[in-house]
Amino acid sequence: MLDKILFLLCLASALADERCMPDTPHGFQVRLSIKTALGDEAYVWNENEMFLFRASLAFAMRNHMNGQQFEVSNIIVCNETMRVSFWFIVTSPLDTSQLIDQENVEAAIRQSRNRINSAFLLTDKTLEFVDILPTLATLYTHPTPPWLIVFGVVMGAVGAGIIIMLVSSVVQKKRKTNGKPQDKDDDEETRVKTVENGDAHDGVHNMSFSEDERFTKM
Amino acid sequence: MEKDARPNWDSPMQFVLACVSYAVGLGNVWRFPYLCQMHGGGGFLIPYFIMLLVEGVPLFYMELAIGQKMRLGSIGAWTAISPYLGGVGLASVVTSLYLCLYYNIINAWSFWYLFHSFQSVLPWAVCPINANRTAPIEECERASPTQYFFYRETLNISSTIEENGGIHTGQALCFLLTWVITYLCVVRGVQSTGKVVYFTATFPYVVLFIYLIRGFTLHGAVNGVKYMFTPKMDQLANPTTWINAATQIFFSLGLGFGSLIAFSSYNQYNNNFERQAITVSLINSGTSIFASIVTFAIYGFKATINYENCLERTRILLLNTFNLAEDTINMDNVFEWIEKLNATYPEQFNEIANDTGNCDLEKELATAVEGPGLAFIVYSEAITNMPLSQLWSVLYFIMLLLLGVGSMLGNITAIITPLQDFKAASLFLAGLVCLFCLLLGLGFTTTSGNYWFTIFNDYGATFSLLFIVLIEVITVSYIYGIKRFEKDIEDMLGHRPNWYWKIMWVAISPLLLIVLFVFYIVNYIMGGTPTYQAWDKEECSLAVIVTVTLCRCLILLQKSLTNPWIQTIRCITAKI
Repeated sequence: MLDKILFLLCLASALADERCMPDTPHGFQVRLSIKTALGDEAYVWNENEMFLFRASLAFAMRNHMNGQQFEVSNIIVCNETMRVSFWFIVTSPLDTSQLIDQENVEAAIRQSRNRINSAFLLTDKTLEFVDILPTLATLYTHPTPPWLIVFGVVMGAVGAGIIIMLVSSVVQKKRKTNGKPQDKDDDEETRVKTVENGDAHDGVHNMSFSEDERFTKM
Repeated sequence: MEKDARPNWDSPMQFVLACVSYAVGLGNVWRFPYLCQMHGGGGFLIPYFIMLLVEGVPLFYMELAIGQKMRLGSIGAWTAISPYLGGVGLASVVTSLYLCLYYNIINAWSFWYLFHSFQSVLPWAVCPINANRTAPIEECERASPTQYFFYRETLNISSTIEENGGIHTGQALCFLLTWVITYLCVVRGVQSTGKVVYFTATFPYVVLFIYLIRGFTLHGAVNGVKYMFTPKMDQLANPTTWINAATQIFFSLGLGFGSLIAFSSYNQYNNNFERQAITVSLINSGTSIFASIVTFAIYGFKATINYENCLERTRILLLNTFNLAEDTINMDNVFEWIEKLNATYPEQFNEIANDTGNCDLEKELATAVEGPGLAFIVYSEAITNMPLSQLWSVLYFIMLLLLGVGSMLGNITAIITPLQDFKAASLFLAGLVCLFCLLLGLGFTTTSGNYWFTIFNDYGATFSLLFIVLIEVITVSYIYGIKRFEKDIEDMLGHRPNWYWKIMWVAISPLLLIVLFVFYIVNYIMGGTPTYQAWDKEECSLAVIVTVTLCRCLILLQKSLTNPWIQTIRCITAKI
């Protein structure tokens, strides 16, 4: 009985690596906000989830450092809290006493960030690697800015409106000037006609110029 | 050959709508709510209505009477009243010219924002990412996305008024567009203006109504409206409240520019302008109150959102610092937890003490903004938080545009009508005036343009208008004679004006204007060197800068140009 307990204690101390501690210069702190992200569909954080995390980190390290076969045992985790935050360090697969330096770990995580996020159904904001800035997705830049298109449409419409206005007023003016000489002719004719009517009553009918015959042709 | 008869409005309704469109402008939306908040909420309505009755309606009535009687623009009308006072008309035209130079830049900004609303993500909702793709651009992060969009992307503002950069091409294009549209509206004079005002006068009310419904259904809007309407009566004892009420009525109605004289000069001789004057003044004040209800609903919404964001940030900070499980702290018990944690872990709490406990709804509500800052920064921020923000954004900026264009039409007409009385070529006169204002106004599209705009906005018209209207009312009451004026009105309307109007014109309004005038002079002298707020690129906020003598000279130059009569008076007073 006693040696079993002793064996377990030795095992425990062997597993708990004293290099992993808060503010370690070789590792990072991770913070998960599962309830914020998923609300009612949040899963409970347990040992299996932790295993998945370590596995996905190992995957990220393998992707980044080609050739080196990282295993789950190379990812050491400590200081787990109720917040669901913990620290981790990465050991080299070739020599477990060697720790992978921070720059490589950071680069590996950056590269595979999306894959790690989607393994947990989380985002950059809810699966936080403290001090690793996420690579933000740039907004889609349009080849022609959309505002210029709308501007072009409005400007075209307004320009067309002005041209129509100017052309119609010029056409109206032309109509007025064409209308005035015709009016003057009409006036003269009516005046002449009234004069003629007056003469017919007052004057003498001059036979030599009239076409009417007093006597009908036979 | 028959002489060309003076063009007329197609119906009295067109005239009323034109006056409403002119009087109801951006000031109703961005100045009145600010004054309401500064001077005791609901209590401000008391001095406001008193000033409306005592100063606003009588002066409005008087200007309409002059225009309709004389049937000429401001220069001709005043020359007809008294040959020595043609300068008053000229002063009105010059002041209108100043306004036309700078006012259209606001419409250009409205167009810019309107065109940028046709995107899936509004550009002022998120900060653009920097070159490294690690974080948003620093200037944007430290200010806010809406401020960044306004000061950097819309204006590309420089640090001081002396740094003149190049012209912002996008701004210049929008500015060109606004002038083209203004030309289109006035190219046929009253015929075209009369049709346009049907739309510019009515559509803003449609939008305001839609926003009223939307505003009241927003989360936290009631906080804002309650805050506005709880009257703080002690503000009534402050003389500044009364002065501000008087100036707001005065400038809001657009007196002294000559636009009202110009509009009413196209009326039929027997048009009942007395009723119309009262109607338009009441509509103008009613719109101010209506707009401020909407504004305060939006304020309430924005303040509540900011407050809740602040609470959320504090909650996350507490969770992260003390490593508590996520569902221990929620929005309601943040403050309890702050106290609990402060008691149990004092040293750890001290480290984050500065960032906690400063979420205050009252403080958020008390931030009052006026002017373009309200319209383009605060409102756009509120819009980004609404669902379907593109639709609300389009509606809102169309409303701002219509309000601005409506006022512009009045001022352009105030310039064109007197000039047309002298010359015949109306087709090209309007075009020349618009072209002239366009070319000079391009200066406002440079990187320091906003500072020049502020100078013109604060000093360009305020002082001169008070003086012009004071001379107007004294002229009508004493030089022209109140009895002659009465007879003219009887000629037009069929009845003499009430004793109330006569007392206002002869005694109360001139007295009030003199008080305002003296107040302005005293303020200007006591104010020392004028200052302006400049955008500090490092601090990413507005900082006060003392102006250089350059601006002082500009102001003095503008004042001396306004009125030959003012020059005469100045000479006389200088000699005394």
